[in-house]
Amino acid sequence: MGDADGAGPLELLFPGHSEMAGRMRAFDWAGTPMGDPAGWPASLRTACRICLTSRYPMFLWWGDDLRLLYNDAYQHLLGNKHPALARPGRQVWGEIWDVIGPMLRSVTETGKATWSEDLLLKMERHGYLEETYWTYSYSPLHDEDGRVRGVFTACNETTERVVGERRLAVLQDLGAQAGTARSVGEACRLVARVLGRAQRDVPFAAVYLRRPGGEPVPAAVSPPGTAPGPPPGGRGGWPLERVLATGEPVVVEDVLRRFGRLPSGEWEKPPTQAVVLPLPGETGTGPIGAIVLAVSAGRVLDDSYRTFLDLVARQTAALVNGAVAYEVQQRRAEELAELDRAKTAFFSNISHEFRTPLTLIMGPLEELRGQLAGAGEQVREELEVIRRNGLRMGKLVNTLLDFSRIEAGRMQARFEPVDLAAVTAELASVFRSAVERAGLAFEVDCPALPEPVHIDRDMWEKVVLNLLSNALKFTFDGSIGVTLRAEDGQAVLRVSDTGIGVPPDELPRLFERFHRIENVRARSNEGSGIGLALVKELVGLHGGTITADSTEGGGTVLTVRLPFGSAHLPAGSVARGAEPFPVSDADPYLQEALRWLPEERGEAGPEESAQPAAGRAESVPPVPGEARARVLVADDNADMREYLQRILAPGYRVTTVADGREALEAVRADAPDMVVSDVMMPRMGGLELVEALRADSRTAGVPVLLLSARAGQEASIEGLEAGADDYLVKPFSAAELLARVRAAVKLSRLRNHHAQWRTALVDSLQEAFFVCDEEGAVVEINSAFTDILGYGPEGLPYRPKHPWWPDEETDPEAHRAIEKAFAQIVGEEKGSYITPVKHRDGHRLWVYASFNEVRDPDTGRRMVVGTFRDVTAERLTAQRETALAALSVRLSEAGSVPEALRAALDELRGVWRAPRALAVTWDGPDRVPRLVAAVPGTAWGEPGDPARGAVEALRGRNPLHPVATGGPAGVGITLEHPGGPLALWVEASQERPFISEDHTLLAVLGGYLGQMLQRVHAFEQQRETALALQRAILGPDRLPQGFAVRYEPAARPLEVGGDWYDTVELPDGRIGIVVGDCVGRGLEAATVMGQLRSACRALLLQFADPAQVLSALDRFAALIPGATCATVFCGVLDPVTGRLAYSSAGHPPGILTHPDGATELLDQGRSIPLAVQPGRPRPTGTRTMPPASVLLLYTDGLIERRSRPLYAGIAAASAAARRGRAADLEELADAIRTGLEPAGGYDDDMALLLYRHPAPLEVAFPADSAQLARVRSALRDWLGRLDAGPRLTQAVLVAAGEACANAIEHGHRHNPGRTVCLRAAATADGLRLTVTDTGSWKPPQPEANAHRGRGLILIHALMDQVDIVTDDAGTTVDMHVRITR
Amino acid sequence: MTTPLTLTDQRRPDGTPVLVAEGEIDMSNVGEFRASVDRAAAGGDGRLVVDLTAVDYLDSAGLAALFAHADRLELIAPPLLDPVLTVSGLADLATVRIA
Repeated sequence: MGDADGAGPLELLFPGHSEMAGRMRAFDWAGTPMGDPAGWPASLRTACRICLTSRYPMFLWWGDDLRLLYNDAYQHLLGNKHPALARPGRQVWGEIWDVIGPMLRSVTETGKATWSEDLLLKMERHGYLEETYWTYSYSPLHDEDGRVRGVFTACNETTERVVGERRLAVLQDLGAQAGTARSVGEACRLVARVLGRAQRDVPFAAVYLRRPGGEPVPAAVSPPGTAPGPPPGGRGGWPLERVLATGEPVVVEDVLRRFGRLPSGEWEKPPTQAVVLPLPGETGTGPIGAIVLAVSAGRVLDDSYRTFLDLVARQTAALVNGAVAYEVQQRRAEELAELDRAKTAFFSNISHEFRTPLTLIMGPLEELRGQLAGAGEQVREELEVIRRNGLRMGKLVNTLLDFSRIEAGRMQARFEPVDLAAVTAELASVFRSAVERAGLAFEVDCPALPEPVHIDRDMWEKVVLNLLSNALKFTFDGSIGVTLRAEDGQAVLRVSDTGIGVPPDELPRLFERFHRIENVRARSNEGSGIGLALVKELVGLHGGTITADSTEGGGTVLTVRLPFGSAHLPAGSVARGAEPFPVSDADPYLQEALRWLPEERGEAGPEESAQPAAGRAESVPPVPGEARARVLVADDNADMREYLQRILAPGYRVTTVADGREALEAVRADAPDMVVSDVMMPRMGGLELVEALRADSRTAGVPVLLLSARAGQEASIEGLEAGADDYLVKPFSAAELLARVRAAVKLSRLRNHHAQWRTALVDSLQEAFFVCDEEGAVVEINSAFTDILGYGPEGLPYRPKHPWWPDEETDPEAHRAIEKAFAQIVGEEKGSYITPVKHRDGHRLWVYASFNEVRDPDTGRRMVVGTFRDVTAERLTAQRETALAALSVRLSEAGSVPEALRAALDELRGVWRAPRALAVTWDGPDRVPRLVAAVPGTAWGEPGDPARGAVEALRGRNPLHPVATGGPAGVGITLEHPGGPLALWVEASQERPFISEDHTLLAVLGGYLGQMLQRVHAFEQQRETALALQRAILGPDRLPQGFAVRYEPAARPLEVGGDWYDTVELPDGRIGIVVGDCVGRGLEAATVMGQLRSACRALLLQFADPAQVLSALDRFAALIPGATCATVFCGVLDPVTGRLAYSSAGHPPGILTHPDGATELLDQGRSIPLAVQPGRPRPTGTRTMPPASVLLLYTDGLIERRSRPLYAGIAAASAAARRGRAADLEELADAIRTGLEPAGGYDDDMALLLYRHPAPLEVAFPADSAQLARVRSALRDWLGRLDAGPRLTQAVLVAAGEACANAIEHGHRHNPGRTVCLRAAATADGLRLTVTDTGSWKPPQPEANAHRGRGLILIHALMDQVDIVTDDAGTTVDMHVRITR
Repeated sequence: MTTPLTLTDQRRPDGTPVLVAEGEIDMSNVGEFRASVDRAAAGGDGRLVVDLTAVDYLDSAGLAALFAHADRLELIAPPLLDPVLTVSGLADLATVRIA
């Protein structure tokens, strides 16, 4: 094949070797309106040349009917419309002419170029109407007269990208639905809704779910409302049973025949194909259903479409499975809630049922005691018995109720700072008479503590009284002691006795509920066994501890420790000031204890002596059958408060506070039935209080009665205008106050009935409930809200940014998410969202919320009502699946165990946002922990690093059992590893402490990683074997001068294949060159290749004639299975003359690139591949390589591409060699390898071999001037091979001679006999000389040595470029001179 | 291998000394060349003629030997040596005839 140079006019107009150039040269132009090319305008000719020499798809339209001229690259985009050369555009592109016709007309009419990006064109180029996207420009082409005669187009098909992005969006849309569906049906409808938005890719979809024991039933379709049924008597419906039975997808090819026209999804034609895919269930179960996904008629069902549909099915399955899991969970939660409700109801019923009769016993009893004060002793004694037992029963009921409250978390403690010594001593004193009456010493030692202690008074009373009662019960001789001390920053109460003690084996169960020590001596056998258990719970609520020390027979000490301060108590339950502390509930305890002391029964009423001095807060029994109304009294005058309390307490539950601010807080925390408030108070007065109460919808309904010393009409009007319900002026009578309060409460109860009902409803909601005002402040919540987020009503209103927002600093991503959700609440009418939130205790939650806008009927203001639920667990499940999938993708890319480990650690760190993730083994010889991998940027640490301790704790653990480590906090796991046990350790981030779900996740990921490591390890070993084999057989150990090679195996990371290259230095100085390609790839092909290569080597040494070598190889190959059809290029090169004899066994032709850029193919000596017809003679071709030409040999992996003719690949390789011909040979080899590499790498074995003639000259000689003539002679010979003319030869000889002389004279004057090297190498347009020595040059000193300085001048003058580098190793003179040919 | 060089002293009919060199002149034999040039120069009181027509190679060492007598030197050189003589500047000082 000749090259294109020296061509005629047609070759100039249609240059190159491309198919289209060939077609254009051969085309009968005269038979078209375009006429003979000789008469074409220059613009058309130029456009033609640009088009044909471009690798980018280009074409042009010419003439009135816009005839089409295009290049090879565009030919592929034409599909079956090719060949369409010189055909009118409307004929070629009829189906899109409605779109491009007007564009073309606008260009020809206006002369202005157009630009279209990702334009949809519905083409019919592959036998069907196809959805395609294009980015292109239309530019005008003018003729000689300046008229627009044609349009030039550079275009790029973007279909794959556009469609790919669209599909990805669909998958993301589906993925975003995770965790939202609460039922299977809703999940299916969600899928249908998403697919309804994706009809371009899924024009029709139907989800079928398998019902236990029944047919699969349709659950949802997209687009909604379509219900295609198979026509009666037809070929039946979707092959659902088959898909469900096999779990494999089925492609239905005859959709039209089965169902007629399905929805076509914005496309002209209805789908003809559909895929029915299984919906896999949770691991280990069969499909839960199937999904039918119709294939858009505009796209073929190729691999990427299939993958997309498969992913749609998987996402659908994940959503449905998630919904199934949610339903199950929901049922379980409802069952539990039902149980809990039953229990709570039971306890409330008991209390009610017991308390009502108790009240009806105790009330009349008190009356009887008064009436029968003078009756006989027996009557009084019996009344006393009834009274004591009544009290005892009341105490029991109350204790039980306390427990149920604690269990339900409803025990409302109110901690206030008190003088604990005084309080405790007073409580103890209640018991003094009883203890002394029992004949025991009672030692109370409670000195004042340095600071107050926060206690709930009622609870503390119960603690102390229970402990004392317990001590008295089990002590018969000796003493009971009560001491209080400050120790280690705690208040320590010890109640000691000298009683019977507790056996050591019973001590641990002492505080267990309902646990009683049997068969011990006690003052009484009565007892429920819950006294000490209650004490423990109550102490626990105070943030304290209780312990017991006991010696059997020697006594018991019970020690209660309470912290000082209030930091350990829940915020919001701490009250400020301390009030006088009346002992309220001691009576039942005392009465019970006294009854254990039989000898004193019937003495003068013990209650009088036991009654504490302070008055009791509630002295009048409640009205039976009706809960007493609660009244909040606010007054800054303590006497006034007490007076009001005394008046109201008989009928109402009274709470007192000292100012308006406290009153407001108290009302907001728990609204009373009414408020009685003074007008004049510090901090916040009564009028302000009323205003604040009315402004808040939750407190607006609470009636307020204002009291004031100011008389007169104005004052009362002012109060009523502020919103007070009533107004009393001091002084007022008790009866007047009671009458006003009674009326107000009655009114309030009526008014609030509805509100209370609503509150009860809201509180009973399982989901968290909230109400926001216009600004987004949360003004109302229910108890589920508090349960989920930890924020209670006491903190209302919560203004944005709400305290549960994730921190902007430490977790900006979550912060953005909630900001977005918040914007939705404030800005939209209704909606729903999923967002991360932070619980009050700091842990992370995910909630799914939905909200609706409402108008406040009173104010007309916009409010937002919303509910949410905790979807953290669902998110975690989704996260686990995502993490597993991500890990498997990452690991599939890993080629070695360390690579896999690094990838896995990176994933782990990503999953937990962990600061560090480490992998450690102990397999080194010293058994010291060795870091085998770490996420980049995270350190294993110095020997003192606490992380080492954490990791060491994992050593020897059972595999795959996550272990939490402390300091630094993290979680670790061990797994089997090819090199012995391996520990993974992930450090917890501060933001996200590890929870049990994380342990499960780590176990799942760790298990998977372990399996993968074993696989990667096996793979590594296989590869090492293969590599060893490859190194043994692939290339020669040493390439002769002038050669460069590249090799790319297809089966990476195996790095071995069926291609090979070889060079053999023959005894006569010639060089045998072999490039071959065995059928197949991987290890098998490599084995065949090794044998052929060895045989070929041996044959070359024997025959030294390429045709003979290949003929002999034919016979050899026939004996080797798998060697048939191998292709081989075999050549013998004379490096002196450049003469190459060669023969090709079916191998692609070698390419010879001349220094001027012309390329030719070595296409003589061609015959069939090996062993196809052994014995058939093989021809020889010869070619003498011109000076500075380059020979390129290769295997078809370099040039062969799917859907591209072979010669196009050869042309591409020729072009690459031509472009790089001026480069160094190694650079040229790289340029060709990378220049032809397809996107994504070579997918077939590829070998390439380069030789540039002549090979570089290398002469090494001793630093002795006597050697110069010999070196010159060798260089002169070499220059002769390069065809350098006499002047160039002389210039090179002098320059090299001067450099060598310098090296001898300067570099080695002290070390004569050392070596100097001269290297000369040619490129297409020049040659490079390098003289290297191991000495150091002196800078030129002309006056000292004039002629040496002259030497350098000569070098610079004769060479085009000179670089002299001197370093410790020696001096290198690098010279370059251009050759003009 | 020593660089081949033959040096012959001749005299023109007018008595001008002529040194005829044949072969290659480099660092290894420049001593011999320099001695011959110096001797030929000392032999006459006027011009010194050096005939390099048969010299294939002349490097800076050889040039240095000639520079010493540049002011009275007449060189006969082949075209191949022209660039070296020009570049070194010898052609500016001495009379150079390209044969």
